[in-house]
Amino acid sequence: MYQIPRNALVLMLIAQALVILPHIMRLPLWITLLCAACTIWRVMVFRGRWSYPNKWIKAFFVFGGFLGVGFGYGTLLGLEPWIGILIVAFVLKLLEMHQQRDAYTVVILAYFVALTGFLFEQSIPYTLYIYVCVTLVTAALVGINQTMFNVTPRKTIRKASVMLLQAIPLMLVLFVLFPRIAPLWTVPLPTNVARTGVSYSMSPGNIAELVQSDELAFRATFEGDIPAYSDLYWRGLVLSYFDGDNQSWNQERPGLYGRTLRGSEGVTEWSDAMEYIGDPVSYSIIMEPTNRNWLFSLTLPKPTDLKRVGLVRDFRFYSFREIGTRFRYELTSYLDFRTDRNLSDFWRYRYTLIPKNDNPETKKLATAIRAGSDSPAEFLANVLRLYADDYVYTLRPPIVEGHTIDEFLFESKRGFCEHFAGSFVYLMRAGGVPARVVVGYQGGEFNRRGSYVAVHQFDAHAWAEVWFENDGWVRVDPTSIVAPERITSGLESAVFGEDTFLADIGLSLMKFRSTLWITELRLQIGAINHYWDAWVVGYTPSVQMSLLRQYFGDVDQTTIGMILVGTFFGILMITAAFLLLKRSHRKLAPVDQEYLRFCRILEGEKLERFLGEGPLDYATRAGEQRPDLAPGIRAVTNAYIKANFIDDQPEEVEILRKAIRNMKVRLFA
Amino acid sequence: MPSASVKDGRLDGFLSAEKRSERLNRWLDESSPPANSVTLNQRKIFILPTRQGVYFALLVCAMVIAGINYQNSMVFALAFLLLSLFMVGILHTYRNLSGLTLVAGTARPTFAGDDAEFTVVLKRLGSRTYESLQIGWNAEMLATADLIENEECRARSFISATKRGRLNPGRLLIQTFYPLGLFRAWSWVDLDMSTIVYPRPIAGGEIQSSSATSEEEGELVLRDGAEDFYGLREYQPGDSIRHIAWKAYARSDKLMTKQYAAYADKRVWLDWEQFAGIDVEYRLSHICHWVLALNSTNDEYGLRLPGVEIQPGRGDSHRDGVLKALALFEVD
Repeated sequence: MYQIPRNALVLMLIAQALVILPHIMRLPLWITLLCAACTIWRVMVFRGRWSYPNKWIKAFFVFGGFLGVGFGYGTLLGLEPWIGILIVAFVLKLLEMHQQRDAYTVVILAYFVALTGFLFEQSIPYTLYIYVCVTLVTAALVGINQTMFNVTPRKTIRKASVMLLQAIPLMLVLFVLFPRIAPLWTVPLPTNVARTGVSYSMSPGNIAELVQSDELAFRATFEGDIPAYSDLYWRGLVLSYFDGDNQSWNQERPGLYGRTLRGSEGVTEWSDAMEYIGDPVSYSIIMEPTNRNWLFSLTLPKPTDLKRVGLVRDFRFYSFREIGTRFRYELTSYLDFRTDRNLSDFWRYRYTLIPKNDNPETKKLATAIRAGSDSPAEFLANVLRLYADDYVYTLRPPIVEGHTIDEFLFESKRGFCEHFAGSFVYLMRAGGVPARVVVGYQGGEFNRRGSYVAVHQFDAHAWAEVWFENDGWVRVDPTSIVAPERITSGLESAVFGEDTFLADIGLSLMKFRSTLWITELRLQIGAINHYWDAWVVGYTPSVQMSLLRQYFGDVDQTTIGMILVGTFFGILMITAAFLLLKRSHRKLAPVDQEYLRFCRILEGEKLERFLGEGPLDYATRAGEQRPDLAPGIRAVTNAYIKANFIDDQPEEVEILRKAIRNMKVRLFA
Repeated sequence: MPSASVKDGRLDGFLSAEKRSERLNRWLDESSPPANSVTLNQRKIFILPTRQGVYFALLVCAMVIAGINYQNSMVFALAFLLLSLFMVGILHTYRNLSGLTLVAGTARPTFAGDDAEFTVVLKRLGSRTYESLQIGWNAEMLATADLIENEECRARSFISATKRGRLNPGRLLIQTFYPLGLFRAWSWVDLDMSTIVYPRPIAGGEIQSSSATSEEEGELVLRDGAEDFYGLREYQPGDSIRHIAWKAYARSDKLMTKQYAAYADKRVWLDWEQFAGIDVEYRLSHICHWVLALNSTNDEYGLRLPGVEIQPGRGDSHRDGVLKALALFEVD
């Protein structure tokens, strides 16, 4: 009866465990336990302690496994349940791995499970980990094909590693040149896990909470100079509806905005609302997955032709698909602009709408200031002056309840950006001036090594936009009045005296910004990750096209295909030559080695042996030319011939060695 | 040793001689003529994906489609790595046969109905090693061999001999799936080996002891059980104590053994005509049976077949000659 070689089985079990490991966090606990149970069972079968489960037990496992996945996830549709089923099938296959072909099935499933992990994570360490797993799976595949005599996994792993290393040049060719095409059909994406990031609702305190995280939000690479720090207002979403019940700022109902705008469309019903002034700023953004629909941009962006992305009426981008994986996009913005010179009565009404019955004190205050101001602009200046007085910018704002804006403005007076932006817009609206809250990020960390700006969660920010007749929307940031450092150099310096920056998270390299070498290291790691995300993970069809254009000029798909096939098989031929034509170094027998040494000694005496000259002829000729050495030469030759006929006996080799030594003594005497 | 399960799940085209087409055979004869020693090269090695190889290729296709649909570079990268591994696998599988030298070893005669044993010597030159080689004439009974530390090894293979006569096993199959099992590299090698298949021994028929029992015709045979004293020889360890000549020992202090002899009274002729009326093969089988029987009792026997006559004799080489004559009777 066939038995899978021990070597292969051991490698297979290890590889299987390692391949499943990254999924464990996403898997229900019982699948993990099932994995362990199956592995133990298989080991016991191999040791001859237990037998394979009978068909009823197997049927129970299979049926129970699928039911478990179905009930555990609540559905069988979607990526996670599929992976659950895949892993259940993968571990159950262990229990019926009798034949060689079953072992192949396990190997193929192992490769596939390794692959699915990349749908969730594509970082450098994770990729390296998966390649270690793939090496072990390949080693198991080699092990299946080895004989039972082979019991050292080291050699098996070595063989697999060598083959994979030889495959890497070919892989690189395919990676760079293989045509990246658009998806063939839609596939289930990873379901939304809670991700940190700005949210579509803002109430006092929730941005202060968000900035406790040092996670990366996105990286932006600029073509040309990076704008001033205080100009880096990354707009994410616009909150223009105040919900009195929850005291929170929310998005406008999408239906009110009408159509979104795309780059290729010419003039649409609201494209004339945007006027671009001055020089454009071009940049590309690699965004970490948010599982949300909004993209970040600097005002005022040009519409783009990005797939499934449109410019919304309030001048921000909306992706019709949630950003579930790292996403790269290119934009052009004009930092100088004018928008919505005219605002319809409907929108004037919407942008000044506040609930009738809340925050009465704030309303009273606004009415009073408005009455004392000649114009909306003066009203704005007077309101901002209010903030300059005795308000404190803090990462630990006290909790406000009830009429939150009243409470903040008149009692606590301590707040974070959302308190300032929220109360400011409320005041403006109460004074009859159209205004809205904008949420996104402000600033970022400039990484010289990668020449990009890294924006982290602690750069999250909220500010306001106010509308004036003829001037359109103007950005107003009340935080800049209270804590100007926040806008010019970031949160850390703004809350420096408070010692609250990233106080709630454990170990973070970000905390050591004052230690130079740690900062350097962090920036270096950041730059490497950036290149990885930009050029490897972010090697999208458009990146591929621009890269190929750069090197091959304006080429069409056919030419690229030919280059691909040519390079691929060229490298394959080189590999073949390396593998098959490698000269074999045949080791000479010790007697022959000794004899050649003897020949080299005589060569030094200008007595070289002719090509094809037999040892006896050579000895005679050399002896005639150097009678003084003749006895020595004869002794060596005799010893050599004798050793050769007596089939490499060690003592004969020793005799030969002695003869050579004697001759040498005579030679140098 | 590999059994049928080794070939389980492989693409088994070209495996048996019957399945090989005439054209392929002709081509094989030209590209790889019979020789006692054959070194495998690109003219002699075939390589095709196995069923597992096809599955693997499908896996890679599925991975590429996943890469396209998820627009996921790392999925692409892994798919391409496996595709490249697949291609490199071709080279490694081929490498595991090329340069290998096969030399014809011994071929033992056998009786029809038994298995004939053939030995083939596998040799490697240089530093290249070979693993998991499968070799044999019968696809169901392939011997496995490694050439890793050793420079050469012997692979024994058995072929069931169904018919008496000269057994030419035909082309030897050497194949390997190493290292990945995704490809099968194989070669059909004619090492020009053959052996003799003796008739199947079947008990039956009567033999007449020849009447030549007189002293003139008979031959003196030294034998333990005989009654006539023949002479003395020096004692050798193993001689029966009962035969020690104690009197001679008393005289000369030397241990001597008494030797007894008898006249062979069974100079048997195994004569074709004695088995008249039976089918040719059965006649030969009966004669074969008697050859073995007589040989085991160390009797002297001769053979008379139409056109063949072997003078009586005894001993293993005599037996082999007789059996060979039986095996090749009216064969060529």
